[in-house]
Amino acid sequence: MKMICANCGYIYDSEKGDPLNGIAPGVAFETLPDGWVCPLCYAGKEAFDPLD
Amino acid sequence: MKPSLSSLYQAVELRQQIPPLIIGERTNANGSKLFRERLLENDYQGCLQIGLAQEASGAQVLDLCAAYAGRDELRDMTELVALFARSVKVPLMIDSTTPEVIEACLKLYPGRCIVNSVNLEDGGRTLRRVCSLLKRYGAAAVALTISETGMAMTAEDKVATARRIHDIAVGEFGLRASDLLFDALTFTVGAGDASLRDAAVQTIRAIREIKAALPGVGTVLGVSNISFGLSPISRKVLNSVFLHEAVEAGLDAAIIDAGKVLPLARIHEADRAVCFDLLYDRSEGQAHDPLVRFIEHFKAAAPSEASSSEGKFEGAEQAVFAQVVEGGKEHLEDNLSMLVQRMTPLAAINQVLVPAMRRVGELFGRGELLLPFVLQSAEVMKKAVSWLEPLMEKGEVRQQTRVLLATVQGDVHDIGKNLVDIILSNNGYKVINLGIKVPVETIIEKAREHRVDVIGLSGLLVKSAMVMRESLRQYREAGLTQPILLGGAALTPRFVAESCVPEYGGPVVYCSDAFAGLTAVRAHEAGRLVSTSWSAAGSVAAMKPGARDAGIARDNPVPVAPFFGVRHVEDIDPALVLPYVNRQVLFRGRWGYRRAKLTAEAYDSLIEGTVQPIYDGLVCRAVEEGLVRPRVAYGYFRCFSEGDAVHVLDGGAVHVFRFPRQAAAPHLCIADYFKSEAEGGDVAGFFVVSIGDAIGREAHVLYEANRYHDYLMLHGFGVEVTDALAEYWHAVMRRELGIAGSEPSDLSGYVTQAYQGSRFGFGYPACPDLEAHRPVFNLLRPELIGVTLTENMQMVPELSTSAIIAHHPQAKYFAV
Repeated sequence: MKMICANCGYIYDSEKGDPLNGIAPGVAFETLPDGWVCPLCYAGKEAFDPLD
Repeated sequence: MKPSLSSLYQAVELRQQIPPLIIGERTNANGSKLFRERLLENDYQGCLQIGLAQEASGAQVLDLCAAYAGRDELRDMTELVALFARSVKVPLMIDSTTPEVIEACLKLYPGRCIVNSVNLEDGGRTLRRVCSLLKRYGAAAVALTISETGMAMTAEDKVATARRIHDIAVGEFGLRASDLLFDALTFTVGAGDASLRDAAVQTIRAIREIKAALPGVGTVLGVSNISFGLSPISRKVLNSVFLHEAVEAGLDAAIIDAGKVLPLARIHEADRAVCFDLLYDRSEGQAHDPLVRFIEHFKAAAPSEASSSEGKFEGAEQAVFAQVVEGGKEHLEDNLSMLVQRMTPLAAINQVLVPAMRRVGELFGRGELLLPFVLQSAEVMKKAVSWLEPLMEKGEVRQQTRVLLATVQGDVHDIGKNLVDIILSNNGYKVINLGIKVPVETIIEKAREHRVDVIGLSGLLVKSAMVMRESLRQYREAGLTQPILLGGAALTPRFVAESCVPEYGGPVVYCSDAFAGLTAVRAHEAGRLVSTSWSAAGSVAAMKPGARDAGIARDNPVPVAPFFGVRHVEDIDPALVLPYVNRQVLFRGRWGYRRAKLTAEAYDSLIEGTVQPIYDGLVCRAVEEGLVRPRVAYGYFRCFSEGDAVHVLDGGAVHVFRFPRQAAAPHLCIADYFKSEAEGGDVAGFFVVSIGDAIGREAHVLYEANRYHDYLMLHGFGVEVTDALAEYWHAVMRRELGIAGSEPSDLSGYVTQAYQGSRFGFGYPACPDLEAHRPVFNLLRPELIGVTLTENMQMVPELSTSAIIAHHPQAKYFAV
C-alpha cells in the first residue's frame, strides 16, 4: 500500500519505510506514530491519501 | 454468503438487519411525472438529480425505469445506467421487461444489480431468456406473481405462480433462491372496488406463505399501490401502516418514495385504527364501510399527519434539503417558494438549510464527501439564503454567533481564510471577513465594534506564525477574551500549544482546516472549547536515535556559470511548463479531490469523468487565452559564505543574505552549501518567476460571485502552475550550469529532489525571512517582468515565487 502526501506529492511506500524519519522498511502507514509527519513538507498523517 | 447488491462504491445486503431494504421509486418514467418530463427533454442530468435526491433521503437501492411509449428504451437506459453508475453511490435496480435492454444494462453496470422484473405472462419464454442473462451476469431479480391468466389476486394464486417461477429459475437455471425477490403484488383498497376489498389481506398472506413455501427467497412490494386513488396525506399514512404490516409478515424490501415513510410510532392512534380497518376490511359494529370511514377521517383530521411527521422532511423541505446536500441548483427558487408557503423564511433557514449543511459537514468528516462537493453545497446554501433573506420580516433577525476572520499583518494569502468564511457563513454563522494584511489594531477595533464571539486568524507564511504569537499578547492587553482560532500552513499543534496558548487569556485553538474551524466554533457554543494541547509522546523526533550534525562536503566542484548578472525572459510557452504540474498534488491537495474512502476504480472514474476534464479545460485556457503568462527574472552571481551568511557579488556591490541555522541536529543552514572566500568562493543562482495576474483577478471575481467551487479550482491551478514554472526554470538553470547529469525520470523524482542541488524559496521553511526579498529584488529587478514587492516584502502578483539555487550535491529541502 502506497500513500501520497496531498500537500507535496511525497509517496510513503511501506516496503521502503521513511529513512529520513527513522522509519524502517515494512512499517504499514496505519501503524506510523501519530506524530509522524511528511519527511519533505512536514504535513501530518491526515494529509495522506491512498495511492493505489 | 449473504446475498448482496453492489455499486462501484458500496455493497448492500438484500436482507437488511432491520427490514425493509428501501428501494427508491421516483426514478421511474411511469411513476414520477418529474422524471418523465426530464426524460422527454433528454435531460439525463436532471434525471440523475432525482436519483441523488432519493439517495439523500434514504434510498438504499434505486429503481431505474425509462420504458415510455415513443422513447428508445435501449438508448435511454444505457445512457442513464452509465451516468447513474458513476454518480450514485447505491446499487441500481434495472427496471425493464425487455431482454435486450436488460442485457445491455447488465453488461454496462460495474457492480451487481437486480433486474425488475420477470413473470410468467407468456408461459415462461421471456422468463427463461432473462434467467440465462441473470446466470451469465450474476444478477438478482424481482419476480412478479403474474401468469398466463394475468395478475394473481388471491394468496393461493400468488404462491402458486411464485412456485412455478422459482422452479424454473432455481431448478432449471441454477439461480440462488436468495437472489430472487418475489413481488406478491398489491392492489388499491382505495377505489371502492368490491373485488379488491381484501387486496391487502391477500398480499400479506401471500408474503407469509411464499416465504414458508420457498425457503431462502426474499419478498418485495411496490407498497404505494395499496392507496392508489386516495388523498396524498392519507396515502402516506396508509402506505406506512401497510408497510409495517407487510414487514411483520416477512417483507424484505419495499419499492417506495424513500422520504415518505413514517414510523408507526409517529402515526396517531386514531389514524392507525382507520388504516387497520381499511387494510383488514373490518366493519363489525360500524355504520359505514371502512373506506368511507377512512376518507371521512382524513378529511377531518388532515393536519394530524403534519404533527406526526415532525423531524421528517417532505415535499419542498425534502427537495431543498437534498439540493443542499447534493449541490444541485436546478429549480431551487421554485422549491424555496413552495417552502415559504409552509414556514417562515427564518424557519426555512434554521430548520431545513442549516441542518442540510450540518449533514454536509458530517459527510465530509466521514470522508464520504470531498471538499469540492462541499463547496458546491455551500453555493446552493448561499443562493437559498440570499433568496430567503429579503422575505424576512423586519425584526425577524437570525440569532447568529459572530466570527471575525483575518489574514494577519504582512500576509497576502487569502484562500485559506476564504474557505473558512465559506464554510462558517454557510453553516449559519455571521462572518466578519476583514481581508488580508490586517493589523492587530484593526482586529481589536473590529472585534469590539461587531461584538464578535470568536476570532479566526490565518496566514500561510512562516513569519505569519510569529506574527500570530506576538499579537496574542496585544489582544490580551486590549482586554479581549474571545477564543482565538489559528490556521495556516506554517502552524503546528505543538507551536500553538507551546508558544501561543500561554500568551493569551482565552482559549487558543489550532485548526488544521476549515471544518476544524467549524468544529471549534460549535464547541465554543456548547461551552466546551479548550486550548490546543500537545504532548511529545508519539512524536517522531522523540524516537530518533540522536541525529548528528551533517558533514557538508567542501571539495565539490564549482560549476561554470553561463553568465554573470541578470536576464529577463518573458516569451515562455506555457506548454513547456505544464508537464511539470504535479496533478496528484493539484487534484488531491489543492482541489481536495482525494480518494479517501473511494475504491481505486471509483476514484479513477471520478478523475476521468470529473476532475481531469476540469484540468483539461484550464490547460486549454492557459495556452489559448493567455490565462498563464510565464515570465522569469534570473541570474548567476559570484558569492562566498561567511558563517551563516552568503555574500553575493554583483558588479561592485555586495548583498549579504543571512540565513537561520537549525537549533537542533543536524544544525543545517543554507550558507553551508556555499564555499567560503578561503575555499575559493562559489556561484549562486537566483530567480523570481511569475505566471502573471490574470488568474488572481479572475479568482477574485469568482469568489465575489459566490462561485466557490470554480474559485477553488482556478486558484489551486494557479498555485500549482506557479510551482511547475519554478520546477521548470530550476531544471533550465541546472542545464545551464552543466549539473543536469542525473535528472528525475518522472514527476515523483522532482518531489524528492532526485537531481543535483536544491532551490530554497524565500518565506519557506529553510529561509523564512522575507526581508531577503530586498537584496533579491536589487539583484534581479523583477519589476521589469511585472513583479513588485509590498511594504511587507511579499510579491505581487501572488502567483509568483522566488528562490536561491544551490548546486551543492548535498543541498536538499530542510526546515529551520
